[in-house]
Amino acid sequence: MATREAGKKMIMLKSPDGMEFEVEEAVAMESQTIRKMIEDDCADTAILIPNINSKILSRVIEYCNKHVPTTGATGAAASDTVAPAALAEDLKIWDAEFIKVNRATRFNLIQAASYLNIKGLLDLTSQTTIDTISDNSLEEIRSFLSTKNDYLPEEEQTIRRENQWAFQ
Amino acid sequence: MSSPRWPAATPPLEDEDLLTEILLRLPPQPSSLPRASLVCRQWCCLISDPRFVRRFRRRYRRNPPLVGFFDMGPRSLYFVPTLEDPNRVPPERFALQFEDGDQFMPLGSRHGLVFVIHLTWSRVLVWDPVTADQHLIALPPGLMGHLNRIMVHGAVLRAAGEAQHFQVVLMVADDDYDMQDRQMLACVYSSKTGVWGDIISAPLPPKVPIGSWPLMVSPSKEAVLVDNSLHWMLFGSLVGILEFDLLKQSIAVIPTPVGVVSSHGRHELTVVRAKGGGLGFLIVIDFCAQSWRRKTDCHGVASWELERTIELDKLLPLNPEMRAHLYIVGFAEENNVVFMWTSVIGLFLIHLESLQFKKIPHPSMLARYLPFESVFIAETCVGGGHDGAVAGGQDRGELLLNTSIC
Repeated sequence: MATREAGKKMIMLKSPDGMEFEVEEAVAMESQTIRKMIEDDCADTAILIPNINSKILSRVIEYCNKHVPTTGATGAAASDTVAPAALAEDLKIWDAEFIKVNRATRFNLIQAASYLNIKGLLDLTSQTTIDTISDNSLEEIRSFLSTKNDYLPEEEQTIRRENQWAFQ
Repeated sequence: MSSPRWPAATPPLEDEDLLTEILLRLPPQPSSLPRASLVCRQWCCLISDPRFVRRFRRRYRRNPPLVGFFDMGPRSLYFVPTLEDPNRVPPERFALQFEDGDQFMPLGSRHGLVFVIHLTWSRVLVWDPVTADQHLIALPPGLMGHLNRIMVHGAVLRAAGEAQHFQVVLMVADDDYDMQDRQMLACVYSSKTGVWGDIISAPLPPKVPIGSWPLMVSPSKEAVLVDNSLHWMLFGSLVGILEFDLLKQSIAVIPTPVGVVSSHGRHELTVVRAKGGGLGFLIVIDFCAQSWRRKTDCHGVASWELERTIELDKLLPLNPEMRAHLYIVGFAEENNVVFMWTSVIGLFLIHLESLQFKKIPHPSMLARYLPFESVFIAETCVGGGHDGAVAGGQDRGELLLNTSIC
């Protein structure tokens, strides 16, 4: 339910498993999807976020809370007192800690970032996934991502032959 | 519980849109996409999709790897790789062959494209070494009368945000010694419209009486793109930096600092991108390199500022008796790497920020080096039934159709 608390407009987000999260409108609007719903006046009552369980939704809100412009995690105005470079560095360190999650949680966060259209979170989660696998062998990548090699042996050979140098 | 505005839940690696988002973050090194395409058919087909290719190119537009460089052979442009395995693209992967007797000259390389003027055919050729696409464009009629007697320069670039289209800029120094009207002429071709624009001309400052040298644009160096302008180093009767503003479509000559650059000094020059952006140039005199940057004060007055001095003799493995003239032979603008050559060391590359030094075995002496900075896209899609490969063909077809094939 949209309410007011300490002069800030609040938005209620509901996960499909019945949990409710009251967040500042500015924090919720880090999600472009929610922003559009609010701007289109579709957010008078609580917004149901399907497909994203309460555990993931709470992490997403944690991310948005940290990344919402001008306010830090404590809710205090930060931009006036902290240099932009220091703020960016702080966010980078915070992000690196935030993304230390298991594979399943990271994939759920990628989905959530995509559904909710939160660019920064999608960048962070996708880039971390790629960074994790990019130095690995093909077999390790397949195993990490639970992906099956569905090439016929001769097809695999053809691709290898075309760019043999890339597999040195 | 779900509403039509929310997509159904699919694991990210089975959702093609999400998987594409992830794969777009693959690093830009040449082996990256070919290797990823071997994980499974779905990855291969997503990576080969022309929409993915366009997004991947756009993503790394400002920081593509320096894959190597092109040098000019008697009948070819041949590739010399500068990366190590597995990113060392073999020379035979990128080669452009000409016929016996063809007169051609490479004019520039940028955004994964190489631009060659083919004087025998009176055409310019824009070549994408990665996809092997070639676009032949008739020279603009307005410049045809100037081409036999004066030097031609040029540049190619992909339009920002439009990876499938490119622009070509031709620049001519119309500086016959006996002529009264000294001017620069330029003409821009757009693959989007398929036509050359109007001839743009600008008068040049009066000739400095230093002998019979004509106005010259440094022949062995490519244009350097800084912000929205192309820059060439001038020498000869006029010292300075020639600027072509792509947005304003205007030509200007920016003077270099008096006393630093002279018309007959024994120094080497290249335009560079200054640290943190903006126009700069590098001058090397007797193994001492200075980088200068153009700055503009609050009143809009521009001036030059010495940014850094680099003592190359301390950086390079040289004994005092091994000193030979050091030539600047190229500059890779996105990677901030200067190509230099001396008779003692041969060809070497210096990264201007880190000052990392790399010797490149290359038998050729002084030559026309075209740094090649590009991502490497994978086009293979084996039997997956995905429309990526077919669309890839269509995409190239559209590109060709949109381009003037003369």
